Amino acid sequence: MDDLFAPPAYAWQRLSPRYRSLRRLTTVLVAPILFSVPAVLVGVLTGLWWISAVLWSIATVIVLLRLSLVEKNWRSWGYVEREDDLYITHGVLFRSLVAVPYGRMQLVEVASGPLERSFGLATVSLRTASPETNASIPGLPPEEAARLRDRLTELGEAHASGL
Amino acid sequence: MTLPPPIPEVPVPEVPAPVVPVPGIADVEVAPPVPGAPVVKQTERPHPLTPFIRGWILFVAIVIGWGQQLVPDGRDDGLDTSDLRQALPFVGALVLLAALTGLLSWYFTRFVIDDDELRLETGAVFKSSKRVSFERLQSVDIIQPLAARMFGLAELRIEVGAGDSTLRLRYLSRARATRLREYLLARAHGRSHRVDDPDLALPVSAFTDLSTDDSPLVKVSVARLVVSFLFSTEWLVTAGFAVVALVVTSFYGVVGYAWSGLIPLLIGVVSVIGRRVFAMYNFTLSESGRGLRVTRGLTNLTSQSVPVDRIQGVKSSQPLLWRLFGWYRVDVDIVGYAGGNGENNDSAASSVLLPVADAAEVALAVERVLPGFALDSIELHTVPRRARWVRWFDWWTLRYGWNDRALVTESGWLTHVRDVLPHAKTQSVRIERGPLQRRLHLADVHFDTPRGPVNVVAHQLDEAVARELAFSQLDRARSARRADQARAVAGSPGDSARDGLLAAFGTDRSQLLGAGSESEVFALGPDRVLRLYRERHEAPQQTAEQLRALYGSWAGNDIGVEVPLTYEVGRRAGRTYAVDRRFSGRGFSGWLATADRDERRQALLSYLDAVTALPLLPSPVPGFARLVGPGALRPYGSLADLLNVMLAGPVTRSRAAVERDLPEVAGVWQRLQADLAERQVSPAVVHGDICPPNTYLSQSPHGPVVTGIGDFSPHTLHADPVLDLTGSVAFLELETYPEAAADAAWLTAVVLERYGDSRAAAGDLARWIAVYRRFYGFYFSDSCLDQPELYRWCLEQLRS
Repeated sequence: MDDLFAPPAYAWQRLSPRYRSLRRLTTVLVAPILFSVPAVLVGVLTGLWWISAVLWSIATVIVLLRLSLVEKNWRSWGYVEREDDLYITHGVLFRSLVAVPYGRMQLVEVASGPLERSFGLATVSLRTASPETNASIPGLPPEEAARLRDRLTELGEAHASGL
Repeated sequence: MTLPPPIPEVPVPEVPAPVVPVPGIADVEVAPPVPGAPVVKQTERPHPLTPFIRGWILFVAIVIGWGQQLVPDGRDDGLDTSDLRQALPFVGALVLLAALTGLLSWYFTRFVIDDDELRLETGAVFKSSKRVSFERLQSVDIIQPLAARMFGLAELRIEVGAGDSTLRLRYLSRARATRLREYLLARAHGRSHRVDDPDLALPVSAFTDLSTDDSPLVKVSVARLVVSFLFSTEWLVTAGFAVVALVVTSFYGVVGYAWSGLIPLLIGVVSVIGRRVFAMYNFTLSESGRGLRVTRGLTNLTSQSVPVDRIQGVKSSQPLLWRLFGWYRVDVDIVGYAGGNGENNDSAASSVLLPVADAAEVALAVERVLPGFALDSIELHTVPRRARWVRWFDWWTLRYGWNDRALVTESGWLTHVRDVLPHAKTQSVRIERGPLQRRLHLADVHFDTPRGPVNVVAHQLDEAVARELAFSQLDRARSARRADQARAVAGSPGDSARDGLLAAFGTDRSQLLGAGSESEVFALGPDRVLRLYRERHEAPQQTAEQLRALYGSWAGNDIGVEVPLTYEVGRRAGRTYAVDRRFSGRGFSGWLATADRDERRQALLSYLDAVTALPLLPSPVPGFARLVGPGALRPYGSLADLLNVMLAGPVTRSRAAVERDLPEVAGVWQRLQADLAERQVSPAVVHGDICPPNTYLSQSPHGPVVTGIGDFSPHTLHADPVLDLTGSVAFLELETYPEAAADAAWLTAVVLERYGDSRAAAGDLARWIAVYRRFYGFYFSDSCLDQPELYRWCLEQLRS
């Protein structure tokens, strides 16, 4: 973790380790499925199965590359609640740190899809009046997500200010 | 607690209060359940030509769509007229259907805009009724598409607070639309006008839509508009493409094929011309009594008001060739404006503040939009030279800087853009860094703003600088928001007339002592205050004069509690003011929130003493009467008559809401009437709005003591002293400190014990307190319009 993205005088809260497993699973699933559809189509329709083989090998490379980055990506996530704002950081190649003042939050959302649920995880997203505010924290245990939501809503009300 | 504005002139005085039946006599049903039963509202339909014009717009759209099909597209099979003949019946049926729908929707559209409300009812099958409170109006625009304009009609488009949909009234006659707009804007600014007020300034010109009291700030001449368009990057690129395509294809002799590619390009060009020239034709930015206003348009005339306090950012941009002329374009981010502009795209609310203007005009306009921001004095910083590896095309144009009010970023070479973000409008702050930037130790800082043209990004800063800029911006945003809130309490930021008035009295906004729904109070040194009445307050001058007379009649009567004294009443710069004696001590309400339980209870006992001292004040009239406000000093035969007159106004306004929220209200009303008729009491001075915010407290050697009661108002009466006794305990519940309810219950017990045997108690003080709680429940029930907290309290009083 380099200094540019460290929060001032606080330590980052990390995501649940289960999020790593979830990422590994999606990595293993997504690219092969995406590439298999055209690969099978091309093979069946044209009989040029070597094209399919190329596609599949590309998929394998992508999976391997992404698998090697899962650990780094998981480590790159962090969030911290300060007195007046929430900080979230993530990203390996393209790093980002977003600071959202509590008074600016318009909506706090907890979402958990079927895959996330099976891993016991949930995502907390914040909205402000700006569509560019890209603040969501994936891979939280449900109780931590609910705590964060309640806490943020409470803080949002306490700090609320008009536009 | 802030109480609703005092009762406006209700058309009551001549109407006797409803007959209050003597209990036991069975003619109860003769009395109307609520006095001043509302008259059935005269609703209005839009202009009868509306369905025709809406049908016409659809017809034109069909013709244009069809026309595009007939344009030869290089495949050389167009212009088959037999197609047309087959299609005509379909088109005819479509137009007829549209006309029918239009007719139905017109028939079922009704609206009311009057002194009380703005309501729009639509829908034949799915009825909807929207009611908007005047305070929430953001802007009112008039839009005239060509078809409507030919018949002298206009659309009134009403923007309600962010996130809410727009109300559209289609179509009204021009005169009606402008009159309604002026009325709505006046109400939105808190001024009390009537719809038929003759001094709502009316536009003089159907072409420019400028009112007589509008003073144009910037006018864009046609020549400048056209030249600026021809030199704009957008036009040059599109036209360049077209020319290149034509030249290349004609060189190879295949122009026919180029058409299919050129037609979309041509349509693009036409739409750019439409947006840049026709829509901006006759562009005028003017200052009216009700804020900034933009009027523009050749075929479709648009007239928008610019809600200055909703502006989230300002962007000025300069295409490369405009540099020859020193021209700029200015856009603003306005919450709720960008985004949803689907139909009539070019007439929809747009974010353009100035389509083209020189530096002096830009400075003038920006000063109106961001007053006192001193943007010129901001020192701009450049970015490190190594940024050229990432932004090789424009790294030397990148700039950023800030002062205590706003942050500025600049970027761009082909089009130079300067974005201004008032600190208070910062939504969130982001630091972003890509892989290349990582090697160079650079980062971007994004300052997020709501959807719109403004995009504030400080590109390619040194890492340490980026971090410092991002974190310090959060602090600046926080303190700016606080300062803005303080300013909002002290009035709208651009209220220069008021500042001038304050300066004339040798004071300024920072001397604000308190503000209520009726007036604001500023310190004028240690022993005097300036009270500025709000314009929405009905008949402020009359109120101020009546209060001065009343206070004058009390001077020299020492009741052990300070009461107000007015030295001077007058009118200046359109505002009524009074110079009052300053109370000693501090506000009781603020103190209550900070004190501990024992201190509070000691102070509350002394509060009770102060309240019960008020009946010692002499009244200018012997009988039951109002002491301030419309019909003041008029004697009433009985307590019930007087109180019913007081109730008539609020109850008329709140009737619908109360009947909805409390079905048994008729019974509560009957009971109150019976109780009031039974009450025998000799009248005394009643404050009517006795609550901690109107009370002052000092520290004596023996602890806190309530030393003053101020803010007598149109609530003040010569009536039953138990009214104030009830108020002193009941309104305590509205204080916001945590133990307020417990204190109120304790104080009630004290009151019952202390005054239970007094003459005014008539043997059953608890009963009369309950009666007057219900009275106040009705009296303040028109808080349903704007103060949900108070309204909830009112319902509670009526339920018990």
